[in-house]
Amino acid sequence: MSVGATVGILFTPTVWTALDDVSIWTQNWPWIPTLKYGEVKGVPTVSKMCESGCAVKVRTVAGEAFGTEGNVDNPISGGGICPLCANGVQVMNSPTRIKAPMLKGAEISWDEAKQLVTEKLAAAGNKVAVISGDQTGTINEVFSALLTSQGSDAFYVMPCEMQAADKAWSGLMGGSGQVGYDLENADVVLLAGADALESWGPTVANMKAFAANESGKFLFAGPVQTRTAAVTSKWVPVPTEGMAAFTLGLCYYVMQAGRSVPAADFEQFKAMVMSGYTPAKVEAATGVSADTMADIARTLLSASNPVVIPSGSVAADAAAFALNLLLGGAMKVLPEFAKAIDGAMSRSEMLKKDILQGVSADLLLVYEANPAYALPEQVKAGFTVAFDCVETETTAAADLVLPTPHSFERFDDLASPYGLAAATYALGAPVSKPTVSVMNAGDFVLGLAALGFETFEDVLDAKVAAIGADKRALVGGAVHVLAETPDLSGVTLASSVLGKAAVPVKGSGAVALAPYTLLNVGTANQATTPNAPCTISNNQLVGDFLVVMMASVTAKKLGVDVGSKVKLSGGSGECSALVQIYEGVLPGVVAAPLGLGHTVGDEFSKGKGDNVYKILTVSSEAATGTSTWAGSTVNIAKI
Amino acid sequence: MEERKSSKRCGGVLPFIIGFLATCVLGWAVIPGLFFEEIEQPIRFSHAIHVEDQGMECDSCHNFREDGSYAGFPSNEGCADCHAVEAEEVMEAIAEAGIDPADYDAIMKAELDAIEGSLLSSSDENKQAEREYVVKYLIQGKEVPWLNYQYQPDNVYFSHQAHAALDIAEMAELKNELSSVVDKSVFDEPAEQNCNLCHLKDIDKSDTPPPFERNVLSGYSKMTMKMWKCERCHALKGQPNACYTCHK
Repeated sequence: MSVGATVGILFTPTVWTALDDVSIWTQNWPWIPTLKYGEVKGVPTVSKMCESGCAVKVRTVAGEAFGTEGNVDNPISGGGICPLCANGVQVMNSPTRIKAPMLKGAEISWDEAKQLVTEKLAAAGNKVAVISGDQTGTINEVFSALLTSQGSDAFYVMPCEMQAADKAWSGLMGGSGQVGYDLENADVVLLAGADALESWGPTVANMKAFAANESGKFLFAGPVQTRTAAVTSKWVPVPTEGMAAFTLGLCYYVMQAGRSVPAADFEQFKAMVMSGYTPAKVEAATGVSADTMADIARTLLSASNPVVIPSGSVAADAAAFALNLLLGGAMKVLPEFAKAIDGAMSRSEMLKKDILQGVSADLLLVYEANPAYALPEQVKAGFTVAFDCVETETTAAADLVLPTPHSFERFDDLASPYGLAAATYALGAPVSKPTVSVMNAGDFVLGLAALGFETFEDVLDAKVAAIGADKRALVGGAVHVLAETPDLSGVTLASSVLGKAAVPVKGSGAVALAPYTLLNVGTANQATTPNAPCTISNNQLVGDFLVVMMASVTAKKLGVDVGSKVKLSGGSGECSALVQIYEGVLPGVVAAPLGLGHTVGDEFSKGKGDNVYKILTVSSEAATGTSTWAGSTVNIAKI
Repeated sequence: MEERKSSKRCGGVLPFIIGFLATCVLGWAVIPGLFFEEIEQPIRFSHAIHVEDQGMECDSCHNFREDGSYAGFPSNEGCADCHAVEAEEVMEAIAEAGIDPADYDAIMKAELDAIEGSLLSSSDENKQAEREYVVKYLIQGKEVPWLNYQYQPDNVYFSHQAHAALDIAEMAELKNELSSVVDKSVFDEPAEQNCNLCHLKDIDKSDTPPPFERNVLSGYSKMTMKMWKCERCHALKGQPNACYTCHK
């Protein structure tokens, strides 16, 4: 009977179905991750991981964020997103998130942190300083108002293009507002060192404008044929320290053609350029031939809406602004949005202090900046409080670390990133709930002093009201644009300063250093992000080694070749790197990527390459009263 | 010797046949049912009311990704578009009535104005189902743990969009070949849409959802489509059966 039963059962589906089900059962171990199901949304907000900030959409499923994409409804980005902000959710979920307030490595409560900082503030008096890594947020109003209430004006930003431009425009030329550039509608664009399609300014908007401006002619001037230069009509090799002189050389031809500006010092400026920056003199100083300059000047003069976009030193920016005023093209001047807090500084006031000249304070508040990585020599403080959401060199060195919510977990705003052609304001609301014990830095600071607001959201509400925008529309992804035009009547050409400041000054090292930034590699404040390393090419990083590029003639002179391991010495530091030959680097120049060589961070950035900020030389641009990294040189030795 | 042989032969065949028939009957009629346990949905949800009475579409509540793949059940946020209840207000009313917020039965029995005023149903039976949803889930901020009749594992990619044009009348011509895949009754009165090919027949018209039948071995639903079923239909319709067709 049992044999019959056995045979009989084989004639039914029971055994086979059971075997099939058991095989499925073996696929369902509890440790196998499962997908989250629910409504898939794209929630508009802002991301502050790159310097300009990106208007993004955070992709969520059942309310949980899982990815970031560009916001196609945003008129500025048009759906684009930068490599840093594209990995915002991954950074938000990083194991390096700071999970609670930490005092010298030990966890403390928020109340204890508040009490401690209150005491430190009282003891520091006016010897309190702030370093902000945020160029566009109203959070800076909160920090600057705190400084004002303490009787201090020590508000610092990390070195940035916006600061150089402001020092040139407001500081030297007497202008007001913020300079911008209409790339989309310009018919000739001279990128005077501005790596606009890679790392300069609002990169995503620049790329959109470049793509839309099919008839425009783009030219790139700089020491390295960058990726931006690679897609422009012409690359003009110009050393970084010679950019101001090169630009004044163009002014020579433009004024020779009869162009003028109704500026009080125009005649003085003209005389200065016509005598000090003749084509022959500029050629001798920069290596750019007079014919090349004449050709570029002709191109600019024949255009109906040209624009010159500078990068680098204050002098280079001022020279470019003077050239733009002479050309009368697509350079714009943007008004500043009204302040939310009475005691806060204006943007120009916030950009006044020169961090390269050093920071010294009894109490230093660092907001989402990484000076310990990019400016290790310049910043000294008795007690440092670092506000950040992930671990950095600065949080590792700080006395007190206060975790902030990630961009996608907080209210934040983005006012007129430098480079845009119009004054724009965007607002982001929280998309995710924080999973660690965080507090918005604005809320924390508002709890320290009576600044007129209880929460940072209240400050943002006041900001939105002050500029006449609609909060609901902004949270929905809309952008508020301010159409006013500042008065340009008092602008001068800074002739007395530019004549001296534009003279190229180079360090004493054997080779000029051309540092460059790629957003997938990282910035001064933000290390590369989890999915970005696979996009870093062998021209920047091989294994864990930094790669520097130079022309074959430079390599031959130094006795190195492709793959040679070298030591670069400059400033007060050293870097080790591998050599790559690239004929798109000006002879006598070595190009090195900034943003690598982190000693603190996640597996994607820590120990990858070397930190080029260590070998930058800070030199004083005496005539403009500012400091610059332009003109940095290094010595290179084979190891 | 001859008799013994005969007797032995006879004594072997009969028990064999008995055993064979017994397990055949058990294997076809009894055991398959033992593979499944019936589990009721957490609350009674009437598709009839929402689809027929309110004119809602499948994607009014069920989430789909852009490619047409299923992305999940509705959340309280979606339900609250119609079933709007001020949770804080209700909780205050519960506290005022001296009821334990975790005692759902007591809350429902109390028929608090803060809840009753928000109920949209008219009949007592439907009101009770709606009340249950509000009390047990909506005001508690808990999502309803709906049971998915058509549950497919994460490694299976199924796009509703890709199957939308499948004509059920055309499929009826293959009903014999598909008899082990689809219940033939589906083709008796073909619906306008082809949903019944995979989903519970006329689930969109059901007033009380049938119990979910869970496979005690695999944990999957009885309605979970096994790979061979997908492959059979694909083969009959001349569609690719490569691994990557369904496993992305």
